[in-house]
Amino acid sequence: MLVIDDERAIRLLCRVNLAASGMEVLEAADGRAGLDLARNERPDLVLLDVMMPDVDGWTVARELAADDETREIPVVFLTARAEAADKRLGEQLGGVGYLVKPFDPVSIGDFVEDVLTRIENGEREQLRREITSGPAR
Amino acid sequence: MTSVESSEAADRARRLQRVAELLAEAVTPEQVLDAILTEGVRAAEARAGSIGVVGDDGEQIVMLAQIGYRPEIMANWQSFRLDAATPMSDVIRTGEPLFISSVQERNRLYPLLADQGQEGHALVIVPLAVEGQVFGAMSLSFDHDVEFEPERREMKVALGRQAAQALSRSRLYAAEQAARQRMTFLAEASELLASSLDYNRTLRRLAQLCVPRLADWCAIDMVGADGGIERLAVAHQDPEKVKWAYELQQRYPPDPDGPRGVPQVLRTGEPDFLPTIPQELLEEAIGDDVELRRIVDELGLTSSIAVPLIARGRTLGALSLIAAETHPPFTPADFELAIELARRAAVAVDNARLYREAERGANAARALAYVADGVVLLDRDGTVRHWNPAAATITGVSEEEALGQPVTEVVPAWEQLTSHVPLLAPGSAPRPVTVPIVIGGQERWVAVSGVGFGDGTVFALQDVTEERALEKTRSDFVATASHELRTPLAAVYGAVRTLRRDDMQLSEFDHAQFLEMIESEATRLAKIVDQILLAGQLDADAVELDLTECDPAEVAAGVIESAATHLPEAISLSLEADGPPQIACDPNKLRQVLANLVDNAVKYSPDGGAVVLRVQSDNGSCRIDVLDEGLGIPAAEQSRIFEKFYRLDPQQTQGVGGSGLGLYICRELVERMDGWLTVESEPGKGSRFSVVLPARS
Repeated sequence: MLVIDDERAIRLLCRVNLAASGMEVLEAADGRAGLDLARNERPDLVLLDVMMPDVDGWTVARELAADDETREIPVVFLTARAEAADKRLGEQLGGVGYLVKPFDPVSIGDFVEDVLTRIENGEREQLRREITSGPAR
Repeated sequence: MTSVESSEAADRARRLQRVAELLAEAVTPEQVLDAILTEGVRAAEARAGSIGVVGDDGEQIVMLAQIGYRPEIMANWQSFRLDAATPMSDVIRTGEPLFISSVQERNRLYPLLADQGQEGHALVIVPLAVEGQVFGAMSLSFDHDVEFEPERREMKVALGRQAAQALSRSRLYAAEQAARQRMTFLAEASELLASSLDYNRTLRRLAQLCVPRLADWCAIDMVGADGGIERLAVAHQDPEKVKWAYELQQRYPPDPDGPRGVPQVLRTGEPDFLPTIPQELLEEAIGDDVELRRIVDELGLTSSIAVPLIARGRTLGALSLIAAETHPPFTPADFELAIELARRAAVAVDNARLYREAERGANAARALAYVADGVVLLDRDGTVRHWNPAAATITGVSEEEALGQPVTEVVPAWEQLTSHVPLLAPGSAPRPVTVPIVIGGQERWVAVSGVGFGDGTVFALQDVTEERALEKTRSDFVATASHELRTPLAAVYGAVRTLRRDDMQLSEFDHAQFLEMIESEATRLAKIVDQILLAGQLDADAVELDLTECDPAEVAAGVIESAATHLPEAISLSLEADGPPQIACDPNKLRQVLANLVDNAVKYSPDGGAVVLRVQSDNGSCRIDVLDEGLGIPAAEQSRIFEKFYRLDPQQTQGVGGSGLGLYICRELVERMDGWLTVESEPGKGSRFSVVLPARS
């Protein structure tokens, strides 16, 4: 897993709780570092904050999608931006999940596992659409 | 001729001469009548005498004056018909004098008088004529029977001639006097009418002017907006009576459909003249009303004139004149004067109204020219009939381009602009609809309301772009504040949830980290909430400052110390204090300002660098600079960063958190401590924020 968030506290929450689900977690404190890690390490999934200095989450998602090497890496947005317009953008940028802060870190491991399973089952497109049409998370 | 006869003749000549002298001195008709009836009657050696003249109507003989007759006799002879079978009627008709020697002869000649007083004796009636025109006659009654010899007859006729000439002359004089007075009055009235455009006031003064010169009473009634009769003025010499007249008006309001007087004049536009108010008319008006009868009796109305105020074919009101206790009955000359007076008054009222209308129009035009709202008037076909300057500004289309054109051609977006605007009935509460239009490539938001009336539609346009922007700023602020609250909230909530997990074992290090996270993020939450509250207080001017003497270097040191505890590794923070003066300020507020500036300096230095807090003396003031080597601020933004809710990065995707209130609060606080806060910056090189506070005096 790769967590890209400028907030140390959020990265810590993700790392500890995902590790509890047996996942190995990489951390990046800004968009640029996140992109580099994603390209080099090819994580199974990226948890992506939006509001970050310099290179923001939207840009990271766009660049990941534009790059053949990283296009397939599923992106789950993890952000304080809760407006419908933001979720629509997240959907357009190809996200497979959209978590709004504050979120429950305890269930984040299950959530990520579920997303990965459904992608394996070919439900990637459906996951994407659920960002705006599915139940709020 | 005997000596007696000659002396009698001489005596008659002397008496005639005496009368002639007196008549020559008499100027007014009253003086003339007095001279004839005293000296003339005496000169003729008569017991009694009277003078009657043909009235204005040419059908009546009116008794002007008399002497020596018993009042109860004369009461019957105040006026009588010219064609009646009486001695005076005959004399006036024929122009021939009449000499009757005895009452028997009189009764024989005039059987009509047989039942009249029988104590009379000889009677002489001589015509009063000037230039062959008989206008009246003089009677002379004697206390004995007289056979009139030619000389004596000649003397009576000569007396009549003298009297006629004097009377005619004096009446001419009086008529001329009256005419001159009327002209003077008209001139005065005209001057008054021209003196002011406040015609209500002018007409009231006109009514005052009419009494008592023209009448005992004068009233002016106007046709009200609802077609009713509105009494504008009542004038009488006695203010008590005026008060009383108004009370009377209250008690007996005029019936607009009334058959006579003012209602009739207002309805028909025809004047109404009653030289003598007939008793039947009063009786008809009084009916069985005892109180009204008492009032009418007390008023003693004798003669009335009611004339319409007509201008440009419209009856505006009526002027009424009434002769009562003092004024003689009105003459046709009075009536003519009243008509002329009313004509002039009507023109004055009309002019004043026209002027007022024109002025109202001009004021309305002025209001429309300067009002900030756009006002657009369309006729039924949707053609522009009015397009005020604000409408021109809002739409970008000038009045010249718009007037007379179909509005859909003038503003192509008109349909889009007004299609959702409900057309209201006149007088209903406006319900503006806000719609965007693009003018000159710029989007403007316009609140449009429309009112439909018989002849078209009027639209009011209000440019609410600024308000909308402010509204957007506010809602952006709410969104921003919520973003800002969500991240620390996520940290606190997440830390607690994680700490309570019983399905895993946290390392001691992580455990400690989570506790610390809860503490610091809760502090951060509190700080954001504080800022929101403080901004609200500053807006309401409810922030109290505790001004004391303080050492700015000490405050700065405290800020550095506290900032150093959570500093990114790449940032170096230092204090440079160079003997700054003591200042008078609220140390807590100054601390808050400096902490915020240092915070910003750190936040906007994502790549690290030196942040310096420099405290120094500057021209007697204390200057505190906060310098960084961070992102810097574009020149165009530098003046705006102190605005409330303004953010360098409105999309806030850059993640440099904040409520958008920090610098607003800083500047407000510094200014409230009589200082100022400025910025110098170059993008990519860093920024310098400077707080200058006055030294303690």
